[in-house]
Amino acid sequence: MRWQRGLWLFLAPSFGLMTLVLLWPLGYAAYLSAFDYHLGSPEVQFVGLANYAQLLGEARFWQSLWTTLLIGFGSVAVEFALGFALALALYRLTFSVRAFMILLFLPHIITPVVATLFLKWILTSNWGLIDATLLTFNVSPPDWLGNPVWAKICVVLADAWIFTPFVMLVLYAALQTLDQAQIEAAKIDGAGGWRILRHIVLPSMVPVIVFTVSVRLMDVFRFFDTIYVLTGGGPGTATETITIYTYQLGFQLLQVGKASALGIITLVIVAAIIATFSSILHRGYGRSA
Amino acid sequence: MKKRQTTRARNQTLLFIGLAIFTFMNLIPLIWAALTSVKNPADAFTVPPTILFHPTIEYHRQVWFDRDFVRYLFNSLIVSAGTVLISVPIGSLAAYGLSRMPQRRASPILFGLFTIRMFPHMLLAIPFFVMGSFLNMIDTYPLLILALVAINQPFTIWLMYSFFLDIPRDLDEAAAIDGCNLWQTFRIVILPLARPGLTVAALFSLLLSYNEFLFALVLTGIRTKTLPVAIASFGGEDVSDWSISAAGAIGIMLPIVLVMIFVQRHLVRGLTIGAVKG
Repeated sequence: MRWQRGLWLFLAPSFGLMTLVLLWPLGYAAYLSAFDYHLGSPEVQFVGLANYAQLLGEARFWQSLWTTLLIGFGSVAVEFALGFALALALYRLTFSVRAFMILLFLPHIITPVVATLFLKWILTSNWGLIDATLLTFNVSPPDWLGNPVWAKICVVLADAWIFTPFVMLVLYAALQTLDQAQIEAAKIDGAGGWRILRHIVLPSMVPVIVFTVSVRLMDVFRFFDTIYVLTGGGPGTATETITIYTYQLGFQLLQVGKASALGIITLVIVAAIIATFSSILHRGYGRSA
Repeated sequence: MKKRQTTRARNQTLLFIGLAIFTFMNLIPLIWAALTSVKNPADAFTVPPTILFHPTIEYHRQVWFDRDFVRYLFNSLIVSAGTVLISVPIGSLAAYGLSRMPQRRASPILFGLFTIRMFPHMLLAIPFFVMGSFLNMIDTYPLLILALVAINQPFTIWLMYSFFLDIPRDLDEAAAIDGCNLWQTFRIVILPLARPGLTVAALFSLLLSYNEFLFALVLTGIRTKTLPVAIASFGGEDVSDWSISAAGAIGIMLPIVLVMIFVQRHLVRGLTIGAVKG
């Protein structure tokens, strides 16, 4: 149609800016990753793929990848169990739903750094709320953030504290769109709550669940604020995820070439997750159609 | 029938009590920080923890005025306002363009935007920092604003796209017949109808830039430090500063709570399109 000509001009400012500010730096990162480049030193040496080879042969890289996946799957599992339970509870509740929604949502909406500090003040040894309470009863608590295993658990719980509300909200929204007639019919046929959940509610929510899990998994590869504030990757490297490791490489050791290579590797992993998730979704839609 | 009603009422009460207990427990870290922020240090470090004490707002005053948080707030406001004022207009333009394109042409672009949203930010932070140092722009407002606008674009476009789709195309066609060109159609006919969408997009972009930490951490310095960076470097280690850091943290949180109450009706839409935590 005639009035539609020139529509692409509307896209120009935004996409121009994104090319300049996202794609150009991305290309620059790919370029940097081929150099042994120490920020501040005048020596810049072309090394080809050596940075990648070095990373892939390094125990610290594989350990950070493992930690990322462990923390990722751990927190997604907790968020799903809790988020789904909360969404169902809110769905069944007939009054004061909105008040609960706001209160439950607070940990997600406040600044992540601030939310993590709140948790840190609970977990700090001796003076934190948990330790102070336990010590009152003469129970000697473990060092929550200083013990490698507990530190991982704390990071998972911190992530869950912040992101469960998100999962809850998305699942609650999906529950609202359920086909009520189908549920009523199942009730009349004598199906109990569990069977309705298992055979009607869950199957119809598969796309939403896949979407949410994928988004959360990709988020873990960007997850930075909470770990940085809570443990800084420690103790040792117990909670060092790929993101934290990249930060250490790039901004503490100033090895920007190697850090860029690690960033590109992360991008490849995330792209693989996106590809898997979109193919699962397409297949899911294909079956239902 | 009567019996069924009483079980239902009982179930509702149990559900309510269960949720109330969970919600309270879930908010304990927040409540604890709020209490700490009005305690004297003598009350803050005790075994068992003190619940009854004389509250004081002394530390709220100290953190904002003696510890320069007012300046960081000013930095945060400049950065957030700058981001919103650039991001929302150009994002809305793009979203309108996409919403009036044939679906088969718009979908791949929208999927591409989704992919961009999923970029690991750390990957961008490194070249940003290197380029920023070359250009001597580290610790200036424009660099951080530019970065935040760019990472915020996919979200704004998606959100506004969903609002523009709700406005029937017949209106565009009618406007075209009446002699409006594309720009006039957008500006005079469509944009006023999308005003609720603009508000939501602006508020969510505001939250995103106010909360953002990574870019603010690596791209700012003494002059342009924003609130999250300030509280992170301040509130971590030293236990003796607890009351002050807690006061700072609570202060940073309050405006967000206000915004949230304002946007609550649109939360689902905003969040399912792209989580606020950019």
